[in-house]
Amino acid sequence: MALYFFTPFIAIILTILGGGIIFYILGFNPIESLKFYFITPISNLYGFSELLLKATPLCLIAIGLSFCFKSNNWNIGAEGQLTFGAIVGGGVALLFYNQEGFYILPLVIIAGAIGGMFFALIPAILKTYFNTNEILVSLMLVYVSKLLLDYLVVGPWSNPEGFNFPETRQFSDSSRMPLLFEGLRIHAGIFLALAAVMLSWFILYKTYLGFQIKVSGLSLKTAKYAGFKGKTMILVVFMISGACAGLAGVGEIAGPIGQLHRMISPDYGFTAIIVAFLGRLNPFGIIFASLVVALTYLGAETAQIFLQIPKYTGQVFQGMILFFLLASDYLLFFKVKILNLKKNELRH
Amino acid sequence: MATDLRISNISKIYPGCVANDNVSLQFKSGKIYALLGENGAGKSTLVKILSGVISPDNGEVFLNEKNLKLSSPLDAKKNKIGMVFQHFNLFETLSVFENLSIDATEDNKSLRVRINEILKKYNFNIELDVPVLNLSAGQKQKVEIIRCLLRSPKVLIMDEPTSVLTEQETEELFISLKKFCGEGILIIYITHKLKEVLSLCDEVAVMRKGKVVSVSHTQNERVETLANKMVGQKLAKIKKKINISKNKDEIFKVKHLNFYSDDPFETNLVNLNFSVKKGECLGIAGISGNGQNELFQILSGEIITPDTSIIFRNKEIAKLNPKQRREYLMAFSPEDRISQAAVPELKIYENVALNNFKSSNFFEKGLVNEKKIKEHSKKILSDFSVNTDNVELKSQFLSGGNLQKLILGRELITAPELLICYNPTWGLDVGAINYIHETLIKINDQEKSTILISTDTEELLKLSDRIAVIYKGKLSKIMPSEEVTPEKLGVLMGGGSID
Repeated sequence: MALYFFTPFIAIILTILGGGIIFYILGFNPIESLKFYFITPISNLYGFSELLLKATPLCLIAIGLSFCFKSNNWNIGAEGQLTFGAIVGGGVALLFYNQEGFYILPLVIIAGAIGGMFFALIPAILKTYFNTNEILVSLMLVYVSKLLLDYLVVGPWSNPEGFNFPETRQFSDSSRMPLLFEGLRIHAGIFLALAAVMLSWFILYKTYLGFQIKVSGLSLKTAKYAGFKGKTMILVVFMISGACAGLAGVGEIAGPIGQLHRMISPDYGFTAIIVAFLGRLNPFGIIFASLVVALTYLGAETAQIFLQIPKYTGQVFQGMILFFLLASDYLLFFKVKILNLKKNELRH
Repeated sequence: MATDLRISNISKIYPGCVANDNVSLQFKSGKIYALLGENGAGKSTLVKILSGVISPDNGEVFLNEKNLKLSSPLDAKKNKIGMVFQHFNLFETLSVFENLSIDATEDNKSLRVRINEILKKYNFNIELDVPVLNLSAGQKQKVEIIRCLLRSPKVLIMDEPTSVLTEQETEELFISLKKFCGEGILIIYITHKLKEVLSLCDEVAVMRKGKVVSVSHTQNERVETLANKMVGQKLAKIKKKINISKNKDEIFKVKHLNFYSDDPFETNLVNLNFSVKKGECLGIAGISGNGQNELFQILSGEIITPDTSIIFRNKEIAKLNPKQRREYLMAFSPEDRISQAAVPELKIYENVALNNFKSSNFFEKGLVNEKKIKEHSKKILSDFSVNTDNVELKSQFLSGGNLQKLILGRELITAPELLICYNPTWGLDVGAINYIHETLIKINDQEKSTILISTDTEELLKLSDRIAVIYKGKLSKIMPSEEVTPEKLGVLMGGGSID
């Protein structure tokens, strides 16, 4: 059991070592490069606030995904739910683009959550009533929502004074997440993430719904025998997951971005899958994991500036984390033995 | 050539449990040896060590005075130790011949010749080119035995081989085993069925709590003496209760139960009709795989069949799910206690919460009432003499018998009017079986009813008031149990008819 929560640390150490080796092969000093990657980005207050800023959506989405994954529902489309949440939330914000009022931001936030929830319900309903595979449906819907966003920002919602740039108007200040500190981009969305952590811990460990999720995740046969309403539960976990992703989307557009355009998310919805597993689907583990993975985003940007390597190295690091996590799980929980067999004996 | 297998000071310790404690045994070819013991007595551990699945912490195995290093099943095979497991390792959709050739080292032509020799020599009647799917359990077992024989084994270990066989098939198996024995193969026979030990084996080793407590000749033993050695205490004999329920009301009635499945591994059920009276035990006999699984799931509400009518206490419940049926005071104990009735990774009290009936208040307003569940679990643990009082223990650490007691305790805590159980004592030791049988009789004594679906005819004859046999998804006529003999059941279970 202790080992179960320990392997994420092994995976992180291996990722750092692996990164060092890659830097070495590319001809950089590995120690220096890793310093640029993992230390420099958070060595000042601004950097640290950027870390929290990036960790916020990752944490929110991963919390939502943990409900799905714990109950054996494989929602891979959080990116789509994030995008759709941002579209709906952004649509409300655009309605009020020239108005002020304390009620606007809550409306935007709620609209975003509902948007994400609705978009997650599509694969859930198709799974429960038509027996489709939720992995494929939720994944494909990502592209639907991205293309819809594309259409909206170049077409009907594009800024009339925007010289045909593919973006909408700027939201009014009443639609924006309040900033926490002057001069830093970190905003009130972080409280949404923390609230989600607390709430999810409560639901997962203290309620009947959480109990059903746990049992269904461990044994669907038992869940059926106990008479849990399997269909309702699938719908509920997808709705929770979609709402969280939608909130993350709203947090981005109403937070640092302030409008809708094509690039509202650097694949937070996909990266959050890694966060969820690195955090062991545990609410508090997810906080930690979201910080680690957020650092790979920041490190990639720093590395682009100081080492002139593309920022997509961030994805290499994220991939390595998942790879090493799966590998260390496999190697620690299974015994691997190398058999020295003669050819003929292999057939035994 | 004579074979001499010697186990010397084998120990295997798992965290919190000594599975084998300095076990030493000696086996010589020309005899059939029985290995007896309760669940958790350590015999499976010993067998796994002999077949190379696990390695002992201490001790050695000698075959003809050669020290064997058994670090994988392959080593056991190389050293001519053959093993037939309780659950068959066959590919259902492949033919018999294909299954046997997967393992073989020779070309198909000479393999076929050798298999045919074996078939002829031991009088096995098996078609080589039909899918294993179409074979009976007894025939599948023969395929497994042939697989061992192809390697000309010195030692053949049989793990609970008769649990899925009919009486007829069991007899055939015994004849074959005696033949192998006469040819110098050393046979180690693991079973819970004491009568089989007495009728088949020459010597018997009894294990208890990881130790060998007795090695003796079977001619000096009786069922009672063996049972007492296994359990370590005198067993009270259960009396078959008197049938008092002749003129009682019917509380449960099933009409037109039909089930059709697309899955070739499931059995279709054809027009089942039966009823259960108050205080009665209805036994449903049959060889496993004749529709019992499907029947249990339909009775429990896991499968809803559209045309069936199920009347329970004058209410139509056919459309209700298991949880709703529980509210009407039904309870269910499925066959698969490890992965269906309970979740091994969950703690005892969490497993108790699976039976969340309304008045339990386990979950109030959607919140977990941990205190209540734990109190309740403690009561079950003590009322049903489960050998732990720690409700935080994960249920995977309970032995089969204790887990079954926990499950029955959980199901009975609602004081159900009808308990449906499927193979409740499958794979359990005598002590636990006795306990469960007593519990089931007590239920009937309290005027509550039971449906007992079981593959164990002895159990059915002991507990049921009326018995029916299920064969290929069809139910025989229901007979009062005093008119039923094991032979009659055997005929019906094998698809024959009696008049």
